[in-house]
Amino acid sequence: MTIRFVFLQANTLRPYLTCIRNTLTAAMCLQNFPCQEVERHNKPEVEFKTSKELLLNPILICRNEAEKCLIESSINSLRISIKVKQADELENILAKKFLRFLSMRAESFQVLRRKPVQGYDISFLITNFHCEEMFKHKLIDFVVAFMEDIDKEISELKLSVNTRGRLVATEFLRQFT
Amino acid sequence: MADDEDNGSSVLDADTFVETEAPAVIIARIEGKSRQVERLLRIPQYTEALETALMDAPTQTRDEQCKAANWILVHRVLMATKDVDGLLLGLNPELHDVLMKYLYRGLATGDRITCDLCLRLHEKLFDMAGIGCIMRAISDTQNLV
Repeated sequence: MTIRFVFLQANTLRPYLTCIRNTLTAAMCLQNFPCQEVERHNKPEVEFKTSKELLLNPILICRNEAEKCLIESSINSLRISIKVKQADELENILAKKFLRFLSMRAESFQVLRRKPVQGYDISFLITNFHCEEMFKHKLIDFVVAFMEDIDKEISELKLSVNTRGRLVATEFLRQFT
Repeated sequence: MADDEDNGSSVLDADTFVETEAPAVIIARIEGKSRQVERLLRIPQYTEALETALMDAPTQTRDEQCKAANWILVHRVLMATKDVDGLLLGLNPELHDVLMKYLYRGLATGDRITCDLCLRLHEKLFDMAGIGCIMRAISDTQNLV
């Protein structure tokens, strides 16, 4: 029963990631655009949303009720927000702690956003300057690989927490036998 | 200067938008289409049913009920289709962009079965129509489906 469930889950993962990859390839058409309102400022328009003509339609791609991905694009920046699968309380806590750990170190990731968008677990902000320095297809590969690995990481963390808990409990209760 | 006094209104403002057709007319048309679609699904002719549902989609209006009514119709056809691969092969290329917009609408619902179907269709439609189809779906802020 569990094996079939895992297989079914893996079945929708490929199309989900392919859809995100294709949509990102289309949405990541960024160019430099100095701010229209304030002189000599250059802001990522997707964050401020001041001018409607500079924004594209936001795209929400849901895999199921728990997992989704929001892609908002504008003329000079792109924001990707991801909600990861959290099956139970333990995964909830692990995901929150792990992604908070990554978000705090957003400087070294460059494309990561310090705070996730409301309603999501983690967000990326890609600007035209990132696209000038780095390859566009590599940026997309990074985001998609990140999404693939996040699930594996959280499963591994959960497994190690359970294993450690079992070992500690065994050792502790040994003194009573 | 005179242009600095512009209050920042753009062509995308809702109040300047003029409805070309009354919502009641559109809803009546969608109801007519749904009868035709039901008939085509019984035969069954899935590609023709999908073409009927996608033709004359209410993109020119701002009324949410019309859009929801047409989405329900398209959703009905997509769920009823048994052969997903063959469905897109015979589809009129002009309707690819409208279908892509409906697929994104389906993906936003969050319902597992709908999303599963929309993800598979998205992959196949992308292989057929190319990246321009996605680009037109996300950049068209006026004709929302």
